[in-house]
Amino acid sequence: MAKVYLDHNGTTPLDPELKLKIPDFLDLWGNPSSIHWAGRETKSRIQKIRHQIAESFGISPLEIIFNSGGSEGNNTVIKSVFQILGHERPHFLVSSVEHPSVMKSYEAIKALGAHVEKIPVSRSGQIDFEFIQSRLSEKTAMVSVMLANNETGSIYPIKALADLAHSKGALFHCDAVQGFGKIPFQLKDLGVDYATFSAHKFYALKGTGFLYVKKGSPYVNLVHGGGQERHRRGGTENILGILSLGFMAEKLSEVSLQFDRIEKLRNYFEARILSEIPDVVVNSAQGLRLPNTSSLILQDVDGETLLMSLDLKGFAVSTGAACSSGNPEPSPVLLALGLSREEAQSSLRVSLGWQTSQAEVDLFIETLKSVVIRLRSLKEDSKVIR
Amino acid sequence: MSTERKPRVLVAMSGGVDSSVAAAMLVEQGYDVVGATMQVWDYSSCSIDEGNGTCCSSLDVDDARSVADLIGIPFYVLNCEAKFKAAVIDPFIQAYMDGQTPLPCVNCNTFLKFDHLIQKMKELDCDYLATGHYAQVKNDENGKPAIYTSTDDWKDQTYFLFTLNPEIVPHLLFPIGGMKKPQVREYAEKKGLVVAKKKDSTGICFVGSQGYDKFIETQVPMSELKKKSGLLKRYPSEEILGRHQGIHHYTYGQSRGLGLTHHEKLFVIKIDAVTNTVWVGDEEYLYSQKALMVEPHWLTDWSQDQTYEVKIRYQHKGALAKLKKVDGGFELDFVEKQRAITPGQAAVLYQNQKLVGGGWIKI
Repeated sequence: MAKVYLDHNGTTPLDPELKLKIPDFLDLWGNPSSIHWAGRETKSRIQKIRHQIAESFGISPLEIIFNSGGSEGNNTVIKSVFQILGHERPHFLVSSVEHPSVMKSYEAIKALGAHVEKIPVSRSGQIDFEFIQSRLSEKTAMVSVMLANNETGSIYPIKALADLAHSKGALFHCDAVQGFGKIPFQLKDLGVDYATFSAHKFYALKGTGFLYVKKGSPYVNLVHGGGQERHRRGGTENILGILSLGFMAEKLSEVSLQFDRIEKLRNYFEARILSEIPDVVVNSAQGLRLPNTSSLILQDVDGETLLMSLDLKGFAVSTGAACSSGNPEPSPVLLALGLSREEAQSSLRVSLGWQTSQAEVDLFIETLKSVVIRLRSLKEDSKVIR
Repeated sequence: MSTERKPRVLVAMSGGVDSSVAAAMLVEQGYDVVGATMQVWDYSSCSIDEGNGTCCSSLDVDDARSVADLIGIPFYVLNCEAKFKAAVIDPFIQAYMDGQTPLPCVNCNTFLKFDHLIQKMKELDCDYLATGHYAQVKNDENGKPAIYTSTDDWKDQTYFLFTLNPEIVPHLLFPIGGMKKPQVREYAEKKGLVVAKKKDSTGICFVGSQGYDKFIETQVPMSELKKKSGLLKRYPSEEILGRHQGIHHYTYGQSRGLGLTHHEKLFVIKIDAVTNTVWVGDEEYLYSQKALMVEPHWLTDWSQDQTYEVKIRYQHKGALAKLKKVDGGFELDFVEKQRAITPGQAAVLYQNQKLVGGGWIKI
């Protein structure tokens, strides 16, 4: 059975060239904090990667903190800002379609007294600027909006949102995990104060990422410990992870090339699905979107069953976000966009990647068609019986 | 080479030894096997060791997953918490509040295993649904597939299967139904399944070691429970022996924990949910000849005035009773008096090891 992976927003497979390099990376095992040769070697490699990433995003190397990934980064930012500014500015604004690591961090500070408000997002993926304008005040500490949505692929106007937040003296935090490696962007152009990144969404190893903290922004450690990351994140560095991230950072220039190819393939996929399967809707198709993401609602099809049926045929896709699989609740993101529970439960997310071929997409379309027809006919049967 | 596909089976895996062996046997028998566990209850509030050894706890899900990995089958966790709460937990609690002793495993089979999973079986293009029940599907004297008791009399679980829709019986596989428990364990050991030495699940999966009354207290507000307190009365003299803290603490035939400092051994004879009176008395009053059976389900042909072997609780040996149609249900007229015929439990009818049907005991 052919295995086809179409869940790149969940995680990405290891880059094939990176995979070949990893055995060499394993020779770099010294503790970067050590002053001897073993430590110096890894220390200088990490610093080189820090400089290289900084250059790619137009920022200073001192603004990068290596950590375990997006969830840690989001926790660190939100808890930092609340801890430092919470008294003076207890108000926070967060989009209603954020990743659970953002939402749950906000729930955590809410329990400690923060006043957190959710920014509505429309069904087409438009964020409510007027709402933000009406709520922003000198009491607002921070606004959090992600760069791109993991489920629908919607890209939000971060520059304009950050400017708006700054106009009232609020900080701006951006979860950039889904944008990293899918769309070309420069952090300096976004004008954000914090941004979070994860290596495993960009063909590198899991358990590694980095946090951008603009110089001078409030910051306290989430993990206290040794002097790593200029005392901003304790714990011996995940050298293998950082090396893998560094290897992929060298490929950031390829993002623009892949963008066009993947977007064409995604548009081809959607055009065929819409013409060949009745009663399908593409979520948030109107606005700016990641080139690889397609969020579908297949009427009268249970997303969980569809996922299992496709898996049994070798296709890896997702319904809702990967983190919430095994959860009976429909995706909170889709509900926040105004979809009904039923629509959200009939959702399917297809996310393409650098290795995805036209042949794989064609094979997937044919399989999806047959499975949807089957499931709909069974649903029809059970309606008749009941 | 034949292009015909292998028959595909969805196997319900609880993480216990029985369903694990069932899955492994199906693989060995050449089926295309898909494993699934129903996550039915949020165990996050339970202590770590609780749930382990009962059905479908979170640690058990891990066990099911590792067995599926070992035997090389795809495995899914189906979230059935909402359905389980509505179909199993809520009626369980309500039954105790109504002075009955519920049988939640039957509802789980009726509304989850053999309804939800049958639907999944169809949707996943499977030909059969298999479980680790101690039961057998065999052709009866008319050549029709029917459910028969398992080879292991002690473990037989057909008592919990009387509500099944007869139409699905040809789609059911009970791979371990022809084995005895020690053989099942031996097979698990031979296959190197991690669950080979796991203790048997006993009791009600979601109640755990706390006891059912403590469980109910976690689910029902104290103000509601207080309304179910009342008098303990001697049967039949009506002598008031004391007060009790709620009828949900009692079950028919119970003699321990009555909170009485009486010199004789007394038993719960009857629970009156209208007046919240718990009647206690001598053991002789527990025995009765007749039982009323309501909401009958039939798996095969049956006839009036026929004598069947009837089980009135899971571990009951079975007793002969004549079936009579009466207003509102059926009357079971036992040849010998039976002890503690309990409302909320099921009366299940057999004929020569074949499951004929059953219904709920009412008083």
